[in-house]
Amino acid sequence: MAATNEPLLRITGMVKDFPGLRALDDVSLEVSSGEIVAVVGHNGSGKSTLVKILAGVYTRDGGEIDYPASTAEEETGLHIIHQDLGLAVQLNAIENLGIPKYKGLRASLSLAPVKREKAQALELIGRFGEPFDVTVPVGQLAPAQRSIIGIARALDGWQHPRNILILDEPTEALHASEVRVLFDAVKKLAAEGAGIIFISHRLDEVLELADRIVVLRDGKKVADESRSEIDHERLVELVTGVEAGEAETGRTDRTHGDVVLDVEGLWGEVLDGIDLTVRAGEVVGVAGVLGSGREALPAMVFGSVISAADEFNVSGAEYRKRTPAESIRRGMAFVPGDRGKYGAIRDFTARENMTLPEMKSVTNAMFGVEVRKEKALAQELVAKYDVKPPRPEQVFKQFSGGNQQKIVFAKWLRNDPSVLLLEEPTQGVDIGAKQALYDAIDAAAARGAAVVVCSSEAKELVRLCDRVLVLRDGRVSAELSGEELTETRLVLEGYGLADDDHVAGGSEGQQ
Amino acid sequence: MKKTEAISTVTEGTKTAPTSGSNWRRILSFRNISALYIFVVIFVIFAIVTPRTFLAPGTWVLLLDEQTITVLAALAVLIPLNVAVFNLAIGAEVGFAVILVAVLQVNLQLPWPLAVLFALAAGALVGTISGLIITRLKIDSFIATLGMSSLLTAGLVLMSGQRQVLGLGEGFRDFATGGIPLGGTFKLTWPFIIMIVVALLLWYVMEKTPLGRRMYAAGFNPDGARLSGVNVARLQVGSLVVGGMVAALAGTLLASRINAGDPTVGPNLLLPALTAVFLGSTQFKGGRFNVWGTVVSVYVLAVGVKGLQLLGATDWVENAFNGVALLGAVALSRWERTSKRAAAIKRATTFGRKARTELAEQQAADDPERAPKA
Repeated sequence: MAATNEPLLRITGMVKDFPGLRALDDVSLEVSSGEIVAVVGHNGSGKSTLVKILAGVYTRDGGEIDYPASTAEEETGLHIIHQDLGLAVQLNAIENLGIPKYKGLRASLSLAPVKREKAQALELIGRFGEPFDVTVPVGQLAPAQRSIIGIARALDGWQHPRNILILDEPTEALHASEVRVLFDAVKKLAAEGAGIIFISHRLDEVLELADRIVVLRDGKKVADESRSEIDHERLVELVTGVEAGEAETGRTDRTHGDVVLDVEGLWGEVLDGIDLTVRAGEVVGVAGVLGSGREALPAMVFGSVISAADEFNVSGAEYRKRTPAESIRRGMAFVPGDRGKYGAIRDFTARENMTLPEMKSVTNAMFGVEVRKEKALAQELVAKYDVKPPRPEQVFKQFSGGNQQKIVFAKWLRNDPSVLLLEEPTQGVDIGAKQALYDAIDAAAARGAAVVVCSSEAKELVRLCDRVLVLRDGRVSAELSGEELTETRLVLEGYGLADDDHVAGGSEGQQ
Repeated sequence: MKKTEAISTVTEGTKTAPTSGSNWRRILSFRNISALYIFVVIFVIFAIVTPRTFLAPGTWVLLLDEQTITVLAALAVLIPLNVAVFNLAIGAEVGFAVILVAVLQVNLQLPWPLAVLFALAAGALVGTISGLIITRLKIDSFIATLGMSSLLTAGLVLMSGQRQVLGLGEGFRDFATGGIPLGGTFKLTWPFIIMIVVALLLWYVMEKTPLGRRMYAAGFNPDGARLSGVNVARLQVGSLVVGGMVAALAGTLLASRINAGDPTVGPNLLLPALTAVFLGSTQFKGGRFNVWGTVVSVYVLAVGVKGLQLLGATDWVENAFNGVALLGAVALSRWERTSKRAAAIKRATTFGRKARTELAEQQAADDPERAPKA
């Protein structure tokens, strides 16, 4: 029975809806024994939703999951290695591998057979190359060694090799040499008959490892082809959805005023001395892969994350010690990426959220809030930014993602900021709301705000920006504008693949 | 033309705007004012069972006055709790003030108003120190105030030697027992008036001012509030300072009422104060800690205990009743909120789906070329 040619896993017509957003739309996928299938796509393309459905974190709204090769004597197992391995960093490899799992009171309370446990752990790990010390806390191990513990843990208890292993962005924290170690381990497993699903947005790694490549974009499957039929350029096209050559280019239609935000040498976390100059009416994008320093930049400029700068001027005035409160007083506004955690008070109403940063204008002589004035203002804002439903008294968390973001925008744009900092402004937002947010950003720039947009979506940056800084390893690796600013260029620069030698250059991004 | 119609039906369908009728229903719902309903039930039961003693005006005047100190202690917990700071030192703070105000009068021969002022200042100082420990040393408020509580208890024992401090200043007793006569033997005592004034002030600040709004924001989501320009650390220190002063005020009134510095009375207030604050958070404002919910909760609990005592129940009843009332009320509001949340999510999803399909149709109608390839 074990030798049938049936695939190990078959997903047909998978659908997943979130409020205001279809995260997966009719996605089908098959994995056979011995095959490595890569699933690629941008952030928000539906990759992680797919994994989460397979893991049982989300329930699907439609579609089927089958294990055609599964039989009574050889049941197909599904094992997932999440991006966050979920290891207990204070415990050692033996404990993380779950070897000391004793059931029953007597076994639990009797002395642990340390030597036998150690031997067992080394044997499990040894399948993937050089063994390492299994008695130190895993927090002290190299990231690749931690990944191997994750894989070994998933594999522990496999009765037969013909199971499915899903790796969700496994190389995120790894160095180039470590990626090699991990890939060797994965290839070994596939050779033994396992079916591997490899989720990644690192295109070079995908091309190196996969036998077959599935591309997701906006929740839909746009390609499912054998590795041999896809080259690098085609893969970029598939992922971005823009054909090389006839791409949209950056904006050139805006008029710029004086320099409003002038930062020289911004240091902190991974940032390694970034210069950033933004003029009134200009929209400057910041791109880069995860870990390039892109995420932290706006928070550092705003002052909510600690950073140091050689020179920092806002509207011509020096601004050294940055705090959010002082930044707001100086006319800065910051829309953070995580709106539930940082962008708003979830338990407040829309009205209370929108007035929070600046309440002077709605305060009366008795130091009290002028509720009537505040309500009128909230009503006006809700109408202006097309929040649905248009109810300022509704609690923030009860709005859908897109409308929550509109409320956050309204909150900051209410007082016409001179510097507008945006982090992933349209993350988890449906198409209609996206358009409204883009319009709001355009309007803010037209009014003379200096806008900084940090985004992982190349398409968004091309749509919005006059100029884009591409960060890599905490430095500006490229600055694109006008004709040069295309989605393809952004993706290539972000991964450090601008030169032709993408396979060799591919490892650069991980160092 | 067509599309505006489509969109308006969407808003129509979901727009169950709060009309005045549903507003009243919400305000009077059990979830919103369960304590008042419980109060009515308790009142009716005891009015039937022991009408003679329970309905006597003297019982009620006494009750109003008796509980003022618990209310003040509860408010002293409420203020920092609003900015997500737990004050477990409340009992020790009150107890410390009881002894301090007595010792200042007896050992240092200070006139009582001055002693009261010093006690209040000491309360503010204690609040400042706890606040700085929490915000500067980044120690969790639970641990910080627990440590503070221990230190204050040590100071309290040191000053009092575990004995009552007797021989307080002349006129000090009137501070808690005097008041505005209402005719007959009844009067509005100073503690009651002071408590009402403190509660009114706190209510105004918390519910009506931008400061109060920022406090709630910091309490719900400190990180989000900070990014909106709220100085969370400053609010936390400030709330502990004011809370410390209110606690000290409760302590001085307590010392005045028993006319002695008793080292045992303060620490007993911790549990009733916390109970009232949490029970109060389920009242009126649905999940927000609030002043009137706290005040009402203290009295509802006290009335229940009083009724049981009049029936001849013994000491253990007070704690048992408080425990049952707190757990019952919080469990009820929690249950109702989760069922409400489930309904809200359902509404949000159907709305989103509807809006999305309509948007797609609209775009398709607008421009067939650019329509989403859905």
